[in-house]
Amino acid sequence: MNEDILTTLKILIIGESGVGKSSLLLRFTDDTFDPEIGATIGVDFKVKTLAVDGNRAKLAIWDTAGQERFRTLTPSYYRGAQGVILVYDVTRRETFAKLDNWLNELDTYCTRNDLVKMLVGNKIDKEDRELERDEGLKFARKHSMLFIEASAKTRDGVQCAFEELVEKILQTPGLWESVHKTRGVALSELSQTGQGGCGAYCSLL
Amino acid sequence: MSSFVTEVLASSGKLEKDDLACKISKLSRKVEETKEEVTDMINKKYIEFIPSMEGAEELLDQVESVSKDIDLLKSCIENEVQQNLHDAVTEYAKLKQQLEKNTTIIKLLQHLQEFDTAVEEYHRALHEKNYVVAAKQHGTARASVDALKAWKDTELPLVRALSSEITIQRENLIHHLGQEWQKLADWKLPSNKTELTCAKSFLKTSLHLNRGGSKVDESIPHALLPSILQALSIQGELHKKIKLFGQVLLKYMLKPLIIYPSLMVEVSSQPEQGAVLTLQCTETKAEHPDPSQVYTKVLTVLKTLHEHLFDVSIDQKKVSEILGDLIWEEMSECIIHECLVHSIPTNSSQLAEYSEVIKQTEDFESSLKEMGYLTGDSADLLKYARNVNCHFASKKCQDVIVAARKLMTSEMHNTVKITPEYKLSIPKLPSPSGGEKERKESGKKSGHYDQRSLENEKQLSPSTLCLPVCRISESVQQLMDLAIQTLSEAVGSSPQCAVQLFYTVRNIFHLFYDVVPTYHKDNFLKLPHLAAIQHNNCMFIAHHLLTLGFQFKPHLPLKDGVAYFVDLVPGFRRLGARCFVAQMNVQKAEMLERLSTARNFSNLDDEDNYSVASKAIRQVIHQLRRLGKVWQDVLPVNIYCKAIGTLLNTAISELINKIMMLEDISNVDGERLRTLCQTIIEEGPLVFNPLPDENKNKKYQEEVPVYVKKWMTLKEISMVLNANLQEIVDRWAEGKGPLAVEFSCNEMKSLIRALFKNTERRAAALAKIVK
Repeated sequence: MNEDILTTLKILIIGESGVGKSSLLLRFTDDTFDPEIGATIGVDFKVKTLAVDGNRAKLAIWDTAGQERFRTLTPSYYRGAQGVILVYDVTRRETFAKLDNWLNELDTYCTRNDLVKMLVGNKIDKEDRELERDEGLKFARKHSMLFIEASAKTRDGVQCAFEELVEKILQTPGLWESVHKTRGVALSELSQTGQGGCGAYCSLL
Repeated sequence: MSSFVTEVLASSGKLEKDDLACKISKLSRKVEETKEEVTDMINKKYIEFIPSMEGAEELLDQVESVSKDIDLLKSCIENEVQQNLHDAVTEYAKLKQQLEKNTTIIKLLQHLQEFDTAVEEYHRALHEKNYVVAAKQHGTARASVDALKAWKDTELPLVRALSSEITIQRENLIHHLGQEWQKLADWKLPSNKTELTCAKSFLKTSLHLNRGGSKVDESIPHALLPSILQALSIQGELHKKIKLFGQVLLKYMLKPLIIYPSLMVEVSSQPEQGAVLTLQCTETKAEHPDPSQVYTKVLTVLKTLHEHLFDVSIDQKKVSEILGDLIWEEMSECIIHECLVHSIPTNSSQLAEYSEVIKQTEDFESSLKEMGYLTGDSADLLKYARNVNCHFASKKCQDVIVAARKLMTSEMHNTVKITPEYKLSIPKLPSPSGGEKERKESGKKSGHYDQRSLENEKQLSPSTLCLPVCRISESVQQLMDLAIQTLSEAVGSSPQCAVQLFYTVRNIFHLFYDVVPTYHKDNFLKLPHLAAIQHNNCMFIAHHLLTLGFQFKPHLPLKDGVAYFVDLVPGFRRLGARCFVAQMNVQKAEMLERLSTARNFSNLDDEDNYSVASKAIRQVIHQLRRLGKVWQDVLPVNIYCKAIGTLLNTAISELINKIMMLEDISNVDGERLRTLCQTIIEEGPLVFNPLPDENKNKKYQEEVPVYVKKWMTLKEISMVLNANLQEIVDRWAEGKGPLAVEFSCNEMKSLIRALFKNTERRAAALAKIVK
């Protein structure tokens, strides 16, 4: 196995049924798009290695079912998640309105309260847009989430979304370093050239 | 100043001096008196002593002389007087004995004479048919004989002869009386050989009442009857005769009249021959006699009897009274059981009309009283009729329970579909008067507020808390209808009746709880279809019991807090659940048994092992498919899915456990195990068919992961069996992948060890299995 893999990160993709979660994952891992893709039953899982800022991280990505009837299954998959991609469909306002519920669910079942959340507005390739970028941005700012608009169909923003998310996770101290690896001294191994504000800091224990 | 003090002092001294003088003079007077007394006493005691002593001595002498005289007298009496007395007594005793003897003999002779006269008179009276006199005379003769017998001292052969004569005479008399009696009331009865079961067999009965007169002697036609009766009574035979008569009357005439509505009585009276009572048969469809008819018939018979036979008084008591006393109890019981019981109405609406019957009963009893058959206080029939409410209630309750029991023991296979729109058919009940006022008042209050603005915009679905779509037994639906009917009856009844009916309805449900699980016990275990129906039945009943009491409470005259059935609800729910769970356990046992034949799923490279294991899996799926068909459309959808899911889960858990226990899985083993897993993964969902419409079931088949807890585990195992080390490690993803959710570190490691040969690669992979 490769030695330069920094760590494995658990990523969840959640959101209402039909917003494009499975398509985003498929685009990211296989770089394909299937217009006839069916509703996910239960949960789907894929692994992909990603390089960000010279660091290679392995992503264990969980694609959950959005349909109401499978809601009882998903909570068990939230455990230990480090990053969450919350997806909505820009052409359907109701998928945006339900975001609060999803955040609520996250709060209830996630074991780490420092996990990184990213809001993705999908299907920007479509004509009949109901939600503008500003609205999404506003929501994301309000809940301290990353934000990007994407299209799994056209490939737009998909890679970016995952990269940003992973970058942010790696920048968050304590989120991905396991207790076994580093005891005593916790020095961030990352450079200070991260986008955005929150940089790492030295903590001498 | 000093003079004043001295004066005071001086005066006080003076007072003291005066006081003292007074006291002293008193004292000296007293002393004088005492002196006198003492002198007196001394005088008496010592001076007058001697004379008094002399007086006492004289008295003593006198006493002595008197006592001497007394002694003398006493001895005199003892010796002489007593002797004379003794002689006199003996003599007198002798005389007395003599006298007594004479008296007895005189008495004896007197008795004999009486006897003789009595017997003579008796014979004469008998000859003249003057029965009363005859009887009286006979009585007298008998008394004489008895008196003779009482003189126990000697057993005269005479007495024996007399008593035998008297007995003969008595028999003779009774024989004569009996014959006369026979003429008065002549019975013709059906022969004993025929069975007295139906109305027709009584047709031969007839009673011929002869007044006992002859053409010649017109003046004494009636006199003969009372004389006969009186004679009988004097002899003590009357009671016996009437009792016999009464028994025959009851058995052959009154009872058949009461029991068979088709029998009528006919009275034909001939001028000199008396009356004849015969039974006739008429056509009638009635199964049970009508009270008024019965009363008329019985009255006819008794009136005729009264006219011709019993309108006679003997010793201030009417003969009809005697007959009445003897037959009344039996007759009234017969009337009650054969006639009145059946006349009790079955609906509370007919209760009002029953007052007619009560009146008829009253008239009947008063007629009987007039004729003397009934004495003042007995009124059994009337009491019974007046208690019609009570009887109605008891009858109704009994009918209801019988009907309920019949429903419960009938076949349960016939089912009826229940949907959320199903409503119990409760009849429109009158609104209680109190409620009206309250509603009007609350209406006024709420007028101030705008009703609409307070109403919630989002309303619950109208089918909230409704029973889900399922099937129940027809008989249970009918049972519910029966309960409601009975409660509706209770609404219109008297308070006592209502209470009884209410508790009868409660008893219906208690009966169900006790009877049905026991009666159908075997079927519930054998037939999963029936177990599911029974489950639904119990839930249906529990559901409706929640509200049943409250729907009727305002209309029932019951004490507060008693008009509900809610306390029965948990019991019924438990009953339904228990029944269904028992069936689930049966299915589970069957399933595990089939899987046990798979030889632990080991060494599947052996053809025989594989075929056995494969067969076991197929059988399990087949069992579930059959079950799914049987429960389709019967159980509510959610329970169906849960049940089938649980059972499938059992099979899957067993398979997974067995696989995890394998220590060595070769390639072929792995392939074949995977095939078995895939069989379940592909065919398992297809057993879920809760709805009869095939197209609608796909949705539930997709939800298998929700119903079967170990579904994801099975899928993961299936994947692992087909994967290489890298794929497994990837899927474990350092404890963040699905394998880490379904398995523990140790389980994963043991599975890897079973699947892969011991190499460095394997060791490296094992090292990555951490959480």
